[in-house]
Amino acid sequence: MSLAIHRNWTQFAWVRLLSVGGVLLVLSQLDGLLAGQNDFVKRLIILAGLYVVLAVSLNLINGITGQFSMGHAAFYMVGAYTAGYLASTQFTRLNLPLTLWMPLVMVAGAIAAAIAGLIVGLPSLRLRGDYLAIVTLGFGEILRIVANNSTELGKAFGLNVSPNFRSIGLTWGLAILCVACCRNLLKTSRGLQFLAVREDEIASAAMGVPVTRTKVLAFVVGSAFAGAAGAVLAHFEGFVSTAMFSMDVSFILVTMVVLGGTGSITGSVIAAVLLFYIPEAMRELPDTPMARILGAPIAIVALLRREQERFHGPARQKWARNLGIVLGCVVLAIALGAVLANLPGMNTMVQGSKLRMVVFAITLIALMLLRPQGILAHHELSWDWVQRLRGKPAPTHEVSA
Amino acid sequence: MTTLLELRDATIRFGGLVAVNKVCFEIHPGQLFGLIGPNGAGKTTCFNLITGVYRPTSGEIFFDGKGIGGTSPSVIAEKGIARTFQNIRLFKSLSVLENVVVGGCLRRPTGLFSALAYLPKAIQITDALRDEALRYLKIVHLDHVANVRSADLSYGMQRRLEIARAMATQPKLLLLDEPAAGMNPQEKGELNAMVRRIRDDHGMTVLLIEHDMRFVMTLCERIVVLDHGEEIAQGPPAEIREDPKVIAAYLGEAH
Amino acid sequence: MPLAAVELSTLPQQLANGILLGSIYALIALGYTMVYGVLKLINFAHGEVFMLGAYAALFASWGLGFTPNNTLTATSPVNLLIMLLASMALCAVVGVIIERFAYRPIRNQPRISSLITAIGVSLLLQYGGQLFLPTSPAPNIDGKVNPYRNAVELKFREAPLALREEAKGLESQVQKAQAEWDARLAAGESRFAPSSEGRIVRDALNAAKTELNQKQTEIARQSAVVVLPVGQLIMLGATVVLMGLLTYLVMFTRPGRAMRAVSHDFDSAALMGVNVNSIVTFTFLIGSALAGAGAMMNATFLSGTKIDTFFGMLPGVKAFVAAVLGGIGNIPGAVLGGVLMGVAEALVVWVGIGQYRDAVAFVVLIAVLLLRPGGLLGSSKVEKV
Repeated sequence: MSLAIHRNWTQFAWVRLLSVGGVLLVLSQLDGLLAGQNDFVKRLIILAGLYVVLAVSLNLINGITGQFSMGHAAFYMVGAYTAGYLASTQFTRLNLPLTLWMPLVMVAGAIAAAIAGLIVGLPSLRLRGDYLAIVTLGFGEILRIVANNSTELGKAFGLNVSPNFRSIGLTWGLAILCVACCRNLLKTSRGLQFLAVREDEIASAAMGVPVTRTKVLAFVVGSAFAGAAGAVLAHFEGFVSTAMFSMDVSFILVTMVVLGGTGSITGSVIAAVLLFYIPEAMRELPDTPMARILGAPIAIVALLRREQERFHGPARQKWARNLGIVLGCVVLAIALGAVLANLPGMNTMVQGSKLRMVVFAITLIALMLLRPQGILAHHELSWDWVQRLRGKPAPTHEVSA
Repeated sequence: MTTLLELRDATIRFGGLVAVNKVCFEIHPGQLFGLIGPNGAGKTTCFNLITGVYRPTSGEIFFDGKGIGGTSPSVIAEKGIARTFQNIRLFKSLSVLENVVVGGCLRRPTGLFSALAYLPKAIQITDALRDEALRYLKIVHLDHVANVRSADLSYGMQRRLEIARAMATQPKLLLLDEPAAGMNPQEKGELNAMVRRIRDDHGMTVLLIEHDMRFVMTLCERIVVLDHGEEIAQGPPAEIREDPKVIAAYLGEAH
Repeated sequence: MPLAAVELSTLPQQLANGILLGSIYALIALGYTMVYGVLKLINFAHGEVFMLGAYAALFASWGLGFTPNNTLTATSPVNLLIMLLASMALCAVVGVIIERFAYRPIRNQPRISSLITAIGVSLLLQYGGQLFLPTSPAPNIDGKVNPYRNAVELKFREAPLALREEAKGLESQVQKAQAEWDARLAAGESRFAPSSEGRIVRDALNAAKTELNQKQTEIARQSAVVVLPVGQLIMLGATVVLMGLLTYLVMFTRPGRAMRAVSHDFDSAALMGVNVNSIVTFTFLIGSALAGAGAMMNATFLSGTKIDTFFGMLPGVKAFVAAVLGGIGNIPGAVLGGVLMGVAEALVVWVGIGQYRDAVAFVVLIAVLLLRPGGLLGSSKVEKV
């Protein structure tokens, strides 16, 4: 409920100014505070921040406005290549200090991506659902293949980008800006128009909502943020190549949005961090006997089938039950692993590095089977919601006249 | 007397089927006008023609003296025609209050940048719209459930919500598609009074489709009757009640 | 871009290639479209089912003795049939399992959730396969298992007789020169640092070869020949047969009618007594089996096709595009879309911008959807207000 009757405290200008000031202060200190961390950790933090921007901006298009966009990586790429191209051609010529160059190149990336977003968004006016999905995916692939074959853009090798600029403060600053913009939008009546388009286009049009313009704007704003993130990525990595923006990236982004709960901004943030971090954390998996690997999916499948029955009961019990199921899966998996170990060939070790994506895939499937509406469903992690969880009666049951 | 809405030989054809055939009627400002007829007569199709969902195959539709045939729905809303739907089309995940605010956005738009930056202007407009929405909810007696998810309301309440949402667009002409469907007699009485208040206090002209004869007869000042896409009778309730063609259409006399 | 190199004479060949490629896409697209028809779900894992079908065919060929480095020389059509059945059977089973355990539990949830699950299954098969299946080096099916390795040559236009006579003359010249050179080599002449006489012989040989080459190119340019490997013709025939069977199934049998009912309106079909669970399982079974057939044919007849666990991704996406192109949910549409996709790809190669072949799928799709938002044969359902 973004427009509940009681007002929110950011109404007051001083609250807003203070929070902006506070955030800026913290951001500027972040790089210093985290300087002691090793490069790998810093890399994780920066990439996580970029994924947050991507997920939240995609959520604006998919979750809030209800358009099915599956090619978000394309906007990321447009921003990155724009920044890369500008850096390789203009940076030495203009010789600007980094503090000026970065915002400039981020804006440039955002604008380029916004134009791409405009082009991609236009077909959305005539296409629905799955058709739009494949068209957005298609645009992305076309752009990628064109870039792959373009000599100015370095063909398959990509472009080298210098200067190299790595800043946690900047990256998370962009992430916070993105989240703030989306949150702001949803706290105003303008944001309700976007939601209305998602809910029912025909009714929205009948109420005077400019449906076409709203849909296109969602694409433009969403892609602009992705483009800015791309610019940051380009300078962070020091190079750009089309391999970094494959279809897989688009799929992961859609997964992040859905997993967090379509439409939920905080959900997208949480899911982005989770889904990014889980595969990273698994880079160091030990070698495991084959038996245990087989045990896990069997256990999950066996226990999660229970979800087919509808469970009617208080939310707290449902969480307990889900927890029980997960624990049961783990126990069953270990047990099965021990049993299967007796079969011939089941003790061959499998390299840990190969397991990473398999575990990720299994986790994904299990999460969707357990909680298909996403972690936060349509809620936001906000004070309102926490209050409601603590027992203030939620006004969500049927009210009769 | 000036005419607010005029249909002149409005016709729409879907392939071989003529859903609305040369229908003519006029509505004057401040009238409570009824559009009735047996099922499949083309009443909702007329609504769809007026509100721009369909483009007339031939004939014209005038609103405030200007032709509006084929104009898109959002432009029609901006010109001052709002509607409710036969199969309720609320914004299901939004709350009651939010549904009405969406209607109000039409007359008080917020710029995108102001919204993204949460500028004072945007906040002001949102607050004003919130207050305005509450006022409309009071008219339809839904202010006590303003924060309830609209999908969780009972059927009758959902219908009233749709009316409030349409009113929020501040239309000159309000089209109600079967507003009394599924209501009990007491609710219908309240609805009757509500519609009168909408006309009297807010100056909106009302055109409604309804099946309940008694409701229509006691509320509407002038009625047009459709059957199989054609207009078979038009006039005040007293005349319509006695009209043999109308009776035949509803009761199905042997030809 | 060497557009100047467009040769009209090679067009028929490319068209033929395109149709053959398109028939594979069509088989995969049928699976996508059928599943979408009944469940309104994009089965992302379908490309991986295709991949498993290829592996099934591979293992079947190994089972028949055509392991890597084998010394078999004889084969029979029965081998092909066994491989085909193996692929179709495995894919059918895999498809049914996926539906049962990954899609059915969330059938009542928003469609996007099923989509994510499908992505998960797709990833699981791709990376899980890396653990269990041979992938490096990527194996391929031994071409010897195919008894139809000869090709049919259709000559549309023959080069002028004079040219061909000249070519024959040049051929014998090359033969003579080659014999001379070989004799010299056998007598001890050094291949790379010959004596001055040897050099004359070698240069004469090379000159003759070059002339012959030029003459042959000229002949090719002036004739229109389409080379159709018989194996690929069989493949096309098999595809047509399978599609015919499918059409019969869908249009004239009871399960087929039930499938159509379910794709029209899931709930009403259930209310009319259709066992929707069985029908959905059946749909997955048929759709996956078709993909398996396509996989087996792709891996066997397009010789040298390397198989690894990511082998199904690109054909999967292209086939999905094909299904959407024809109107998703529409069976003839999937076939039309698939063939169109294959031909478009071949044309791109013909025109000389082959490096863009993967993009062409999407360009065609976007172009068609802009004109017909429901796909070529799809119905643009008007929402009732």
